[in-house]
Amino acid sequence: MAKVLIPTPLRQFAEKHDSVDLTGATVAEVLASLTQKFPDLRKQLFNDEGKMRSFVNVYLNDDDIRYLQKDATPVAAGDTLSIVPSIAGGV
Amino acid sequence: MIKINQTAWDAMVAHAEAKFPNECCGAMIGSIAGDVKDVTLAQPLENAYSGAQGARYELRPEDLLEADKKARAAGLDLIGIFHSHPDCDAYFSKTDLENSCPWYSFVVLSVKGGKFDHANSFLPNAEQTAAEKEELIWPKS
Repeated sequence: MAKVLIPTPLRQFAEKHDSVDLTGATVAEVLASLTQKFPDLRKQLFNDEGKMRSFVNVYLNDDDIRYLQKDATPVAAGDTLSIVPSIAGGV
Repeated sequence: MIKINQTAWDAMVAHAEAKFPNECCGAMIGSIAGDVKDVTLAQPLENAYSGAQGARYELRPEDLLEADKKARAAGLDLIGIFHSHPDCDAYFSKTDLENSCPWYSFVVLSVKGGKFDHANSFLPNAEQTAAEKEELIWPKS
């Protein structure tokens, strides 16, 4: 089981859980388990084409999965997945 | 509604004024009860934008992850993001909108001539096409 940390504003879509333990051999499988368990999270994380929203980053422990094997990154028991947005701006 | 306490507000304004004429950025941490978000801690973060920072800011996701961990460890929540607009009003710009996320409150501090002038809070949508203004309460000095 891997632990997925749920950001505060998304807990309303995850029965108020701040984290959830899920099965899955890869990041994609764990995220599929997450959105199966909490279908309302899907719209927050993925667009209508099923692609991860542009501002969503996923970290496996302390590493950005973009620099690993993206959503094919293997997940081991005891790993932690974090969902972190990209944020920038300017006048 | 988002309420910012004195300690957090002082840290936000100090960071915004210290970084003037550049934009500053940071995380707002606290707790949520019903529709009220109480910010009790402001965590200044580094503006990681690689170009001129007078009109741009960028948060490193790793820094935000660390802020979230810090909040969780203290039994608090990451509630929002703040940044400054140097010599400019506290509106939510096109650049802000196109690089936002719908999960957090975004507080913009206007700093004019190096001194805080006014602030507003915004809630962007998931499509990054619109941001609703949110009631913001800060300690008036």
